[in-house]
Amino acid sequence: MDSFNAITAAIFLPFIFAGLVPVMEKLLKQRIGWFAVATALACFILIGMAAPGVIEEGHIVQGTIPWIPSAGVDFTIYADGLAMMIGFIVSGIGVLIMSYSNGYMSKTEDLKRYYQYLLLFMGSMIGMVFSGNTIQLFIFWELTSITSFMLIGYWRHKPESIYGATKSLFLTASGGLAMLAGFLLLGNITGSFDLTAILNDPQVINAIKEHELFLITLILIFIGAAAKSAQGPFYIWLPNAMEAPTPVSAFLHSATMVKAGIYLIARIHPIFSGTEAWFILVSGTGIITMLVAGFLAFRQTDIKGILAYSTISQLAYLMTMYGYTTYHEPGIGVAAATFHLLNHATFKACLFLVAGIVAHEAATRDIRKLGGLRREMPITFIIACIAGLSMAGIPPLNGFLSKEMFYESSLEMGASIGGIFTFLIPALAVLGGVFTFAYSIKLIDGIFLGKRDKEAIPHHIHEPPMTMLIPPAFLAFLIILFGVIPSLPTHYIIEPAVSGILLETAHLHVKLWHGFTISLMMTIVTFILGILIYTKYDRIAAWQDNFNMKKPWISINYYYDLAVDSAKGNAFRFSSRSQTGSIKLYMIAMLLLMIALIAIPAAILATNIVPSQLNFDIPPYEAILLVLLIVAALSAAILPKYLPAIIALSALGYGVSLLFIYLKAPDLALTQILVETLSTIIFLLAITKIPQKYKEKISLSVFTRDILIAITVATSVFVVLINATQGIVDPFASLSHYFIDNSLLLAGGHNIVNVIIVDFRGYDTLGEISVMCLAALGVYNLIHSRSEE
Amino acid sequence: MTTIITKTITKICIPLVILFSISLLLAGHNNPGGGFIGGVMFVSVIALSYVVFGLRHIKTFFNPDWAKWFGFGLTLASLTAFSAMLFGHNFFRSAVEFVHLPLFGEIELVSAGLFDIGVYFVVIGSLLFIFKNVGDDNE
Repeated sequence: MDSFNAITAAIFLPFIFAGLVPVMEKLLKQRIGWFAVATALACFILIGMAAPGVIEEGHIVQGTIPWIPSAGVDFTIYADGLAMMIGFIVSGIGVLIMSYSNGYMSKTEDLKRYYQYLLLFMGSMIGMVFSGNTIQLFIFWELTSITSFMLIGYWRHKPESIYGATKSLFLTASGGLAMLAGFLLLGNITGSFDLTAILNDPQVINAIKEHELFLITLILIFIGAAAKSAQGPFYIWLPNAMEAPTPVSAFLHSATMVKAGIYLIARIHPIFSGTEAWFILVSGTGIITMLVAGFLAFRQTDIKGILAYSTISQLAYLMTMYGYTTYHEPGIGVAAATFHLLNHATFKACLFLVAGIVAHEAATRDIRKLGGLRREMPITFIIACIAGLSMAGIPPLNGFLSKEMFYESSLEMGASIGGIFTFLIPALAVLGGVFTFAYSIKLIDGIFLGKRDKEAIPHHIHEPPMTMLIPPAFLAFLIILFGVIPSLPTHYIIEPAVSGILLETAHLHVKLWHGFTISLMMTIVTFILGILIYTKYDRIAAWQDNFNMKKPWISINYYYDLAVDSAKGNAFRFSSRSQTGSIKLYMIAMLLLMIALIAIPAAILATNIVPSQLNFDIPPYEAILLVLLIVAALSAAILPKYLPAIIALSALGYGVSLLFIYLKAPDLALTQILVETLSTIIFLLAITKIPQKYKEKISLSVFTRDILIAITVATSVFVVLINATQGIVDPFASLSHYFIDNSLLLAGGHNIVNVIIVDFRGYDTLGEISVMCLAALGVYNLIHSRSEE
Repeated sequence: MTTIITKTITKICIPLVILFSISLLLAGHNNPGGGFIGGVMFVSVIALSYVVFGLRHIKTFFNPDWAKWFGFGLTLASLTAFSAMLFGHNFFRSAVEFVHLPLFGEIELVSAGLFDIGVYFVVIGSLLFIFKNVGDDNE
């Protein structure tokens, strides 16, 4: 299989296998999770088949399958080192997470749904990273938002899950829409949605940078990336997303999905970097988010909450580093960011899995109740130490290496701007590192060290089953491996990825020991300050709580809730005012609209309202029928009781179908008779449940108004029909000739009505039958939601 | 409503009307009829039997899941529409074929006919689904 086919297969395999999950579930029962693991492994291998060319030779796998060529939208694959790296992270961590889920998820859960969503997510994510077309990228991007929504809301009965799921969908999907607008602008500037064409052509990139729409395009795409990666004001969805099952949080909300925004920033780096706007927007947002989120992590009591804020802060590191840019050297922080991206995926996923183990065994995630678990679960303790210390940046773990690189690139960026920034940027970077150090230590200390609280958790805690222990242990192994032998990941993963971002061959030299550099001094300062802050940890948390109590309005969540609640309230008020439930008012509204749409244009267009060559020669049986119809219509309107009125209405309907027969329209007659019969039956069913007399007294003014509306509508319909059947006035020219001439020729049918329905207007019919199905489901929901109340 | 006369007539009507509705469906391409009319005819006779014998009584021995019918219909109709794309044609392109069968003589096979069968099932399924749910609702 060549590389292009292998990657296409890796994208679609999870989608197809997600469809097979219900079938496999019948065979495998509760071991269905291993089917999902096998799928993820297959994806990993498929991506691996394409990898040697990309990694060894710097070759980029590209290929296109035409999809909507008329709109310039094709299914395009662009697999460079960066896409490969994320692809490996997604499928590799997917294997670990799904194995772990086999132990974590209770056998009584709806496992089918769980693994289906996970597979769908994995497919969307793989599809997203290998997209070479912006529209295709957008589609997979939003698919990841939707699957994330499903997974956060997996426990449907919990209101917190629903709240978190809705919030994440609102923010990430609307960010995605901004991104789409940005892509459309980009398409406008370059004349193509093809990302490969832009990335392969330096002239196009220069043209974009000089274009007047450059800034707004960048801002729109950046909003999408920031919303997805929980940066800036959009960070608020990630803490609530922690309502998802913990393996999901480890997979989506730390290692992969939230990296999508970072991936996008890296992907568009060659197009937009090297400008001031890029640095201010990306690094500026990054630095602020890094500090705020790192600081806010202190007051979290839920261990997943701490991890959520730490994820936001770590993602902000990545943002900041990708944002470091100058005109002469556009990619100052790219190598550091890419390396840290990989490292963060390993240690953060590992920490989440540990949190899952703790919650699973201790039945609580509250850090105030936990503590002293090191004796009861020593292996988990060791794994947690490795991951936590890596996050804190302790040598010789991989987090230390990438943090050193972060400091180095901050120094370089600061120096290249000069002035106060020479010190400010490195100082802020150190401050971010200090916060990270403090909450990392808090995690280890709060869960495993300290005193064992026998009152909060009375039962004995033991190690989890092997299925839950091996995945985090494997990640911990990687953390040490990458830390001790950094040339391994840098050569095989980071260098190809950085080459992909910078569009030139990159060489990195990462070593554990550099000698006494400034960045090493900064690390030492970080540790000292970190330990100092840690001694005040609880006091800072208490201060934050106190501040939050006193000033609830200094919070983005406050405004989010305000906006959502008032939107709900306004929608409710609007619908209760516009939907009164009175059928009469609905009728009036419809008829007034008819007057506006038909009567007024007809009056303007039809100069000769009654055509002169009308044929008044009516056969006597038709005349009698018409008189009967008028009598029936009048009685339906006037009769005081429901039953006679309904019968008069039916008589009217059957009379009309008789008229259709006279006019040689058997199809219409047949349909009319059947529909009339059916509606009469339904009326008769309903009649037993409602009062037998109209009780309403109608005042004279209301009566006049109704009569006026009725007459206007009737007249206009009359005018339109009489003109349409005669085909006299130009806009009403008949189009039936086309169908009469072509029905046998093009569709092989003699019955024109039927040919129109199933062939010429087949698309309409498909829409109509879909509406019928939806209406049926709607009625079902209305009835059942009412009976539940 | 539920006199012995209506009951007897309904019993006689049911098979006849159902057969007629199928014939309307199949004849639709060249003669009056088609999926929609056939479907409504099928619905009206089942609805009539619901009214005459009572929904509760009918349900004890004849209680299909009408939701499956319209699900099937919609799937069939969309698959017919998409199937043209498998042969490299446009969405919804129809095909006509004339086949000689020993007993029936020449028969016209139209891909639009399959679409019409889809329409037939959607009409039956959705209308009777609504009918049954409204009828079941006792509040």
